[in-house]
Amino acid sequence: MPGSFAVRAENLVKVYEGTVRALDGVTLSVEEGELRAIVGPNGAGKTTLMRILTTQIKPTSGDAWVLGRHVVREAGKVRSAIGYVPQEFSVWNDLTGYENLLVYAKLYGIPRDRRKRVIEEMLEFMELKEAANRLVRTYSGGMIRRLELAIALMVKPRVLFLDEPTIGLDPRARALVWSRVLEYRKEYGATVVFNTHYMDEAERYSEVVTMMNRGRIVAEGEPGDLAKAVGEGDLVSLSLEGDTAKALDALSRVPELVVVSAKNPVLVRVENAQRQLPYLMEALMGNGVRVKEVGIRRPTLEDVFVKLTGMTVEEAEALGFRGAAAMRRAIRRGG
Amino acid sequence: MSLARALTFVELELRRLRHDPTEVFTRAVQPILWIGVFGTVMARVRAIPTGGVDYLTFITPGVLMQSSSFIAMAYGIMLVWERESGILKKVLTLPLSRLTVVLGRSLAGAARALTQLLVILLVAVPLGAKLDLSPIALALAVLALLAGAAGLTALSILLATFMKTRERFMGILQAITMPLFFASNAIYPIEVMPAPLQAFSRVNPLTYVIQALREALVYSNPLACLQSIVDISLFSLAMIALATLLLGKIVE
Repeated sequence: MPGSFAVRAENLVKVYEGTVRALDGVTLSVEEGELRAIVGPNGAGKTTLMRILTTQIKPTSGDAWVLGRHVVREAGKVRSAIGYVPQEFSVWNDLTGYENLLVYAKLYGIPRDRRKRVIEEMLEFMELKEAANRLVRTYSGGMIRRLELAIALMVKPRVLFLDEPTIGLDPRARALVWSRVLEYRKEYGATVVFNTHYMDEAERYSEVVTMMNRGRIVAEGEPGDLAKAVGEGDLVSLSLEGDTAKALDALSRVPELVVVSAKNPVLVRVENAQRQLPYLMEALMGNGVRVKEVGIRRPTLEDVFVKLTGMTVEEAEALGFRGAAAMRRAIRRGG
Repeated sequence: MSLARALTFVELELRRLRHDPTEVFTRAVQPILWIGVFGTVMARVRAIPTGGVDYLTFITPGVLMQSSSFIAMAYGIMLVWERESGILKKVLTLPLSRLTVVLGRSLAGAARALTQLLVILLVAVPLGAKLDLSPIALALAVLALLAGAAGLTALSILLATFMKTRERFMGILQAITMPLFFASNAIYPIEVMPAPLQAFSRVNPLTYVIQALREALVYSNPLACLQSIVDISLFSLAMIALATLLLGKIVE
């Protein structure tokens, strides 16, 4: 039943210009009030999914609902219930911050008697009061993002869609953007769906992660649970000198060890790195393998992606580069 | 109300113009040359039959429309740019109908184009153009210009949905605006044109807007002017309807 979810998608397919398959059968449910991250490399289909959910484009096939309203047949009703911040900047940089809020407030149809109050409240909430009367052209990237969030939140949307909300921002600006999003969500119990290719951000800020690659969902779950899919324990990355074959041979004789990635740097999983590392090193050196660098860490979503797709996020992006470039062109041209 | 929201796009445009009025002046250079140089020289030659009106007065409405049409037709570039940025994506997720968006943007382009009325009057009148500047004549001129420029802006939006890069759009713009100008009654009456060109100029929207502007500002014939404005509005409504239908294509 689509009605009981904040967002529901069934078998969404989107083909651009008859050739580029951006979405290849996506089915997804987001509960009301949930904080959902959609992660994956560039070209995975995250933006296309969000553009369908926000009624900008129609799916080639499949259905989707936001708060029980169909995104194609009831697009108008969906639009009145959502807030959206696209990946690219969506404010006029030759107007002031205040004017952007005013113009958007009028376009949203916020009544005159409430407009000023809503704008003041949002400027305060986003810490933009002092910059309100400056041209947006003079804003930093973080300020522009907060202005866009202010615009999206003026109407107190029940579902907020953010496409790469912190892309290109420095850590401080990222943290400020997130603190505002989380506070809004706490105050209004809103559902937040965000796209990101920063896996660490998904891990830190979301309750449920949907992982996409090449137009499909490859994994879904709580970040902690997903990381467990790689296995319990620690990951040890070994940066090796020369051929990895000898190293893999040596490692195969170490008990309770799983090779996660056989490419240099080799990634292995052990139950307890502190205890097992000495044996591991002994085995490698005994086989004449020179280790340049050792790293120990907990499994992350990146590792989940590697395990599920057999490649790193960077490799997926490089591999899909031609496809992704064609898709981006198609999206821009509107094919 | 939908019209109020559509007019917000006009407000947006006026606010942008207030922050950066450069376009008003750069766009004024060409018409100043047309009226100040071409107009005054051709007036001495007396080669073009203008039906008893002196040549400078005759071409002033033509040059006004030329300048306005260039601004209106260039408006689509903004949409090409807005598609590359996130603005168009954002606007299409607002609770606005596609018609409100196109109508609003068309009126916004027309508002920009309307600035040329003031510029041209300030140039042409001191140079000796004999224009009817009564409130009724001016109101009719504003109406005719708004109706015409809104339609041309909608046409520009329509072109923007097909020309997906700024370069291509600029190219097609060059290819369209000058022919529309020369194949109109802007700087000579259509009766002096060869027959095929005459036929084209009769379906050229510029011809009708310039006709309306002459009826208002030169011939002081409000009724004829109103009739022309009705014709122009039909063209503009058709363009707005078409652009609304195809707006989805620009982002799809």
